[in-house]
Amino acid sequence: MNKLTKAGLAGLFLSLTAVMAGCGGSSTSTTDTAAVTADVYPVTVGDLTLTAQPIHIISLSPSATEMLYAIGAGSQVVAADEYSNFPAEAVALGTKLSGFEPNIEAISGYSPDLVIISYDPGSLVEQLKTLNIPVFVAGAAMSLENVYEQIDQLGVLTGHSQTAKDVSKTLQTSIEDAVASVKFANPPLSYYYELDNTYYSVTSNTFIGQIFNLFGMRNIADNVEAGNDYPQLSAEVIVSSNPDFIFLADTKCCAQDATTVAARDGWSGLKAVTANHVVLLDDDISSRWGPRVLDLITSIRDAVAAANS
Amino acid sequence: MTALGFCDVRVSYNGVEAVQGFNDLLHSGEWLCLIGPNGAGKSSVLRAAAGLVPYTGSIAIDQTEIPATSARWRAQHIAYVPQSPLIPHDMNVHDYVLLGRNPYVGHFSSETKQDREVIHGVLERLDLIDFSQRRLGTLSGGELQRLVIARALAQEAPVLLLDEPTSALDIGHQQQALELVDKLRREQGLTVVSAMHDLTLAGMYADRLVLMHQGARVAEGSAKEVLQPNILSEFYGVSARVHHEDDGTVVVIPQRTSLR
Amino acid sequence: MNRNRNSFALAGALLFVAMIVGTMIGPAGPTWWRIPLEFANRLPFIHVNSGVSKADWNIVWLIRTPRVVLAAIVGSMLSVSGASYQGVFRNPLVDPYLLGVAAGAGLGATLVFAFQRGATRNWIIDPLPLAAFIGALVAVLVTYVVGTAFGTTRSSTTLILAGVAVTSLATSIQAFILQRNTDVVRQVYSWILGRLSSATWGDVRLVLPYVVLSTGVLLMHRRLLDVLRVGDDEASALGTNVRRVRLIVVLAATLGTSAVVAVSGLIGFVGIIVPHAVRLLAGASYRVVIPLSILLGAAFLVFADIPSRVLANPAETPIGVVTAFFGAPFFLFLLRKRSNAR
Repeated sequence: MNKLTKAGLAGLFLSLTAVMAGCGGSSTSTTDTAAVTADVYPVTVGDLTLTAQPIHIISLSPSATEMLYAIGAGSQVVAADEYSNFPAEAVALGTKLSGFEPNIEAISGYSPDLVIISYDPGSLVEQLKTLNIPVFVAGAAMSLENVYEQIDQLGVLTGHSQTAKDVSKTLQTSIEDAVASVKFANPPLSYYYELDNTYYSVTSNTFIGQIFNLFGMRNIADNVEAGNDYPQLSAEVIVSSNPDFIFLADTKCCAQDATTVAARDGWSGLKAVTANHVVLLDDDISSRWGPRVLDLITSIRDAVAAANS
Repeated sequence: MTALGFCDVRVSYNGVEAVQGFNDLLHSGEWLCLIGPNGAGKSSVLRAAAGLVPYTGSIAIDQTEIPATSARWRAQHIAYVPQSPLIPHDMNVHDYVLLGRNPYVGHFSSETKQDREVIHGVLERLDLIDFSQRRLGTLSGGELQRLVIARALAQEAPVLLLDEPTSALDIGHQQQALELVDKLRREQGLTVVSAMHDLTLAGMYADRLVLMHQGARVAEGSAKEVLQPNILSEFYGVSARVHHEDDGTVVVIPQRTSLR
Repeated sequence: MNRNRNSFALAGALLFVAMIVGTMIGPAGPTWWRIPLEFANRLPFIHVNSGVSKADWNIVWLIRTPRVVLAAIVGSMLSVSGASYQGVFRNPLVDPYLLGVAAGAGLGATLVFAFQRGATRNWIIDPLPLAAFIGALVAVLVTYVVGTAFGTTRSSTTLILAGVAVTSLATSIQAFILQRNTDVVRQVYSWILGRLSSATWGDVRLVLPYVVLSTGVLLMHRRLLDVLRVGDDEASALGTNVRRVRLIVVLAATLGTSAVVAVSGLIGFVGIIVPHAVRLLAGASYRVVIPLSILLGAAFLVFADIPSRVLANPAETPIGVVTAFFGAPFFLFLLRKRSNAR
């Protein structure tokens, strides 16, 4: 599957997140999840109310799948989509539903009591509501706060609110520690983030971009194309900006690595190439917003720390 | 009584005048043949009468001017047989002739029993009744010619326009077609206007000839009057002898100008 | 005439069977043979114990049946529209998308996908079908204005060329927008391939008035389409206002096609395959081709939707892929037949 569309999901449908349980951010959250300790049903998140603990959960979002297993709700999941390839237990389910071309009958065949999606390809929510199947839209995260919030929300819905709070708290702390452990460079280190080998990139307005912002890094794709957060850069632009770092998010889809980058015409002289600052990222990890975002952050931290030393 | 009248009819294409002020009056049952070199305007006169090109001036049937807006009225009074009719290969003979009843059938209705009787009569008269279910793609040139005439007759119009009715036929079928038109004209009092290249045949069948040249009428009269070597030489640029048969037939014979 | 009546009855029966079969086959839900029993049970005065649970019946009635009904509606509209276009343009390769419907609808949909960020899908009127519908109509309007301004009063070739030009323009604008909004490429592509998987009874109610109106007008004009078969000049000499007939038929066909495209995306090949198949089976007269296209087109798409939801179970195969799969070999067959027939 094309890298750019996967990463593109990270920038979608802010509205759906907004509909659910208030806007992203740590400000006024309508669901005061702190109040629910032992899981007592019914629970409400946004306009979704569950009257009993769901034990036939279907996840059509790979990020949500990772979150569910991380918060201990894995045993309640009966089916996942074809891209939910982590953790191994999800793969072991052997189900390959489609999140992009969902077959509503196949979904309902599992008699689900909760369906989690990250985007609605076309009246899926409406059809599920017609069949009285509860659906939760865990839209693409726009910030780390969204990530913590979604983990908490899933915890409330699945009856693991305490575990979920622990997981999100630990995640937050680990991230803050990772960020604090490196010094910000002055002037800021510049980076080029590669989505695929035709040079699609992301700006710092995206979820990924904001993570790099935590490290005070400068994105060479900013301001290249006004209004487009996923611009396709030209090789000239990349080479002339001579970034300090090159982060490859197309290692799996497009088989890119430091060698192939160095082999590109005109790229062998770049700072990032000669100083060995070409960082390989896992395509999946960098396009999702689950607990493994920590791995992404750690990779960046390690790269920056190595550069500082 | 004037069955068909042309009054100062002019036709222009892209600003170029193809027909300059054409005037004529035909009485019922008359056969007028337009002759002249290519581009003289013969076809344009016919197409104007058929409503296929815009024209100024007036064309009237039985002294009623053809209304510009009613294609139906025109089709009920003028039947046009084009030079190269479009023959849909997978239509059958019956349906093709049925199209001739189009001017009489309501837009969204079907043909009535009376319409079908007319078709039947026409097919019989033209010896096509056995072909009724045959597809047009299987017919020969001669049969197709009869067919197109049949369709025109189904329109039951008093005026019949024929644009080069014999150009694509062999000599036998040429005679057949023209004899047929003549017979029908006498039986039904049809007024016929044709445009033809074959001067001898034109002279044989038409009551009157009009020679056109660059949009204007330059000669008119009987075959004997119009088909004269000096006239033909001036307007066709042809070197020809004209022979008069005992029965009055005028035969035009082109002469070789080079040595054998 | 009797032969025609037999054909109509046969086609009608085929459609009925297709719809029953369509509701019986799917990746989930009750066992197939129970479904007709439950349908019977739902009729007044009939009681049959079908063993179908309420939840299972919901799947059949709320999910599968609207899909089957929509397939029938879309299939019939695309087919009769294709047949009508072929009639007014006297060109066997013409399809309902010719004058810009496809490109215009695609552009409208792309605009919605690209600029709907921040807007909820819970607007009172879903902007997506509306934009597709308007896009299709505007494109055809532009084509018509351009095509009749420059051409002679009766030239259909000019109109087709204008359609090609408008299609190219709309497609290039669409490509430009997609290039700047690559995150919606997948959604747009999915929409373009066409789908019936999201059909609801609401969709059926939405398109029905347009389809009924459009099909009615086209049915009324079937005799006139036969007259057009001898060419614009001769049809005109036979007393038909060719330009007006062409305008009305194009308008009606476009209206109906735009409506179904708005809810089901661009399902290709139906508008070409079905009318030609009808001609091969029942002759080329539009008095027969038009009504039979309606019935057979409906049956065709209902049948084609079955592999669409079952083949790649549990995913969907876009129905445009299924129809293309039938369409390509059919074209080859048609070519062979025509070359042999000469």
